[in-house]
Amino acid sequence: MIRTLKTLAMVAACVSFSGILALSIWTIAGQPAPVNLPQLLSENMARSGVEHPVTAVLLNFRSYDTLLEIGVLVIAGIAGISMAKTASLEDPELRTSDSLLYGLQRWFVPLMLMLAGYLLWAGAHRPGGAFQAGAVLAATGVLMRLGGVPMDFLRPGLLLRLGLVLGFTVFLLVAVASVIGGDAFLAYPPELTKPLILIIESVLTLSIAMVLLALFVSAPVNDAEDPEEGSS
Amino acid sequence: MTLWLMAGLLFTPLAWAVLTLLTDFAWGRVVTWGGIVVQVLVSLGLWLAVSRDGGFYYGLGGWEAPLGIELRVDGLAVTFVLLTAVVASACGFHAGVYIDPDKPWHRYFWPLFWFLWSGLNAVWLGGDLFNLYVGLELISLSAVGLVALGGKAAALRASLRYLLAALLGSLAYLLGVALIYGQFGTLSIAGVVFWLEDHPVPAGSGLALALMVTGLALKTALFPLHRWLPPAHGIAQSPVSALLSALVVKASFYIAARLWLELGEPLGNLAAAQLVGLLGSAAVVWGSWLALRQSALKQVVAYSSVAQIGYLFLLFPLTYSVSESVSQQAQQGITLQVISHALAKAAMFLAAGNLILSTGSNRVDALTGVSRFLPFSLFSFGLAGVSLMSLPPSGGFAAKWLLLQASLGSGQWWWVLVLLTGGLLSAAYVFRIYRASFLENSETDEFYHPSRSLEVIPMVLALMAIGLGMVSEEVLSVMALPFEEEGSP
Repeated sequence: MIRTLKTLAMVAACVSFSGILALSIWTIAGQPAPVNLPQLLSENMARSGVEHPVTAVLLNFRSYDTLLEIGVLVIAGIAGISMAKTASLEDPELRTSDSLLYGLQRWFVPLMLMLAGYLLWAGAHRPGGAFQAGAVLAATGVLMRLGGVPMDFLRPGLLLRLGLVLGFTVFLLVAVASVIGGDAFLAYPPELTKPLILIIESVLTLSIAMVLLALFVSAPVNDAEDPEEGSS
Repeated sequence: MTLWLMAGLLFTPLAWAVLTLLTDFAWGRVVTWGGIVVQVLVSLGLWLAVSRDGGFYYGLGGWEAPLGIELRVDGLAVTFVLLTAVVASACGFHAGVYIDPDKPWHRYFWPLFWFLWSGLNAVWLGGDLFNLYVGLELISLSAVGLVALGGKAAALRASLRYLLAALLGSLAYLLGVALIYGQFGTLSIAGVVFWLEDHPVPAGSGLALALMVTGLALKTALFPLHRWLPPAHGIAQSPVSALLSALVVKASFYIAARLWLELGEPLGNLAAAQLVGLLGSAAVVWGSWLALRQSALKQVVAYSSVAQIGYLFLLFPLTYSVSESVSQQAQQGITLQVISHALAKAAMFLAAGNLILSTGSNRVDALTGVSRFLPFSLFSFGLAGVSLMSLPPSGGFAAKWLLLQASLGSGQWWWVLVLLTGGLLSAAYVFRIYRASFLENSETDEFYHPSRSLEVIPMVLALMAIGLGMVSEEVLSVMALPFEEEGSP
């Protein structure tokens, strides 16, 4: 009885919230926004170094957000591998010897690598870029791992950690280099904008793939004993 | 000069996060201590620069708002940057000695610590709604990672709960941001305020503010959304608990306060302001009462945080449709409360960590006899308690004095009762710890003695919390500095 009442109350709360939200969105959609950001964006596209507005926003106009977001990804990767059980990374039980998967993999892996490369390149003038390419690259890694391809760099060693932070580090160095040149943090020199964005996107692709792959690989939890503070 | 300082402030924590990720714990400690020196110097330099020349906007990447992201570098922001530098470096030094360097997963402590620091700075300086969201994410995820470090079942349970609460809060905030963006077409807070100055308030914008404040209240653990806080703050290692209680919960409150002060008058209403104040008061009473009844030492301190956070939310009723001077008093009182609670609570958690290290138990009744062996840590705990009880001349007293005046000045006498009850209850739970530690027990005479440096750090923080009351005028004067409204330097 009480459970039913609780469910009913929850449903009522959700419905009324959705109603209020829908009403608000309806009202807001009816009024024009006072600041026309898309127009401002298109006026400044020529100075952004790329042709696609999303890439321009992500890697130039609001690059600070992207820098910090990559930091968030690195944090997620660190938190993931901090809980990894080293042994599980080489656990033979997690590998399959399915010949169909093996055969498919020989077709898929090169194709997916090419797709990742294309997505990265496409980001300059159409939807695409580091995040999408990194996701495809990570999926390739997951496929390879499930198929039993040895990937030693995924052991929690220096190489893995270097891979996690490579993209972030390059981005950060570019950001601070402009300060040394006497400009604001993250301001690219106008003539170098395009190559810098390309370099950042490429290393970001690698690191994003690495973070996602590390999270996939390190899923099992550490069960080594570390007594809670003061519990002994 | 300020350009260099700003770049240093943004660059150092991120760079040190990378550096410490590539080392092990022991080397990470050396590297971190170097980084702390740099970061403290930069923060101090920026504070001095702003207190001399006033605040400014700093456009990142050379783009101005609304196209790019602008940081708002004003007196309040640099005060909190400096506070973060003080508390985080104290916790960093403490953690270097306190945390066991032999556990392989502890190497990840330093990078998470530095990411947390960079997230805090991002929030204090943020002037862009979405950028603030990213800063919050940096803080939440690194805080969750720090709580979960090692991945023991109990810690995982607490951190997962923390993660879910933090994510829900972030999503509510993000929904509010999306509504604001849809309505005003800009993400810059200053842009929205500027437009509202000479236009009528458009319909449907109250919900955005309500969503953002609710999400942030969940992240700040305002009663009744506080249930995730005590397990997470209680189970983390003591330096982590200190960081979480002193700084992390303040970040989400800071955003809520900034939004309320800028947008509360046009978008909010009286009932909402009183409701938030009421919830804050309930947090003060209920949190203190629960702190009094906990059997674990760190849970006492964690519930005390729930109570102290409650005071902060009195900002909402005390600044809504009141006179300029009363609002000013309330803002100053809350700022002092944030600073003094950060210092006192960090001191308290670090001292509690030392006591636990010494007695080998987290239970309050295991403290029997510890007063003879660890008087120094116990004294720091008590000094921090003095500030929480808001006895003169502590920073806590100065804060509550200002809040008292603001309550009476605006005719909202009912908040005075909350201030008095909260003070009495906090005295009760601090004295309870003292009583346990002064009891004599002939059986347990074996106490481990933690190193001197562990004992000095909470003492310094506690003395700063006490001393804050005497220099509150100087601290507050930086906030009132003129702000250069247009463009970056």
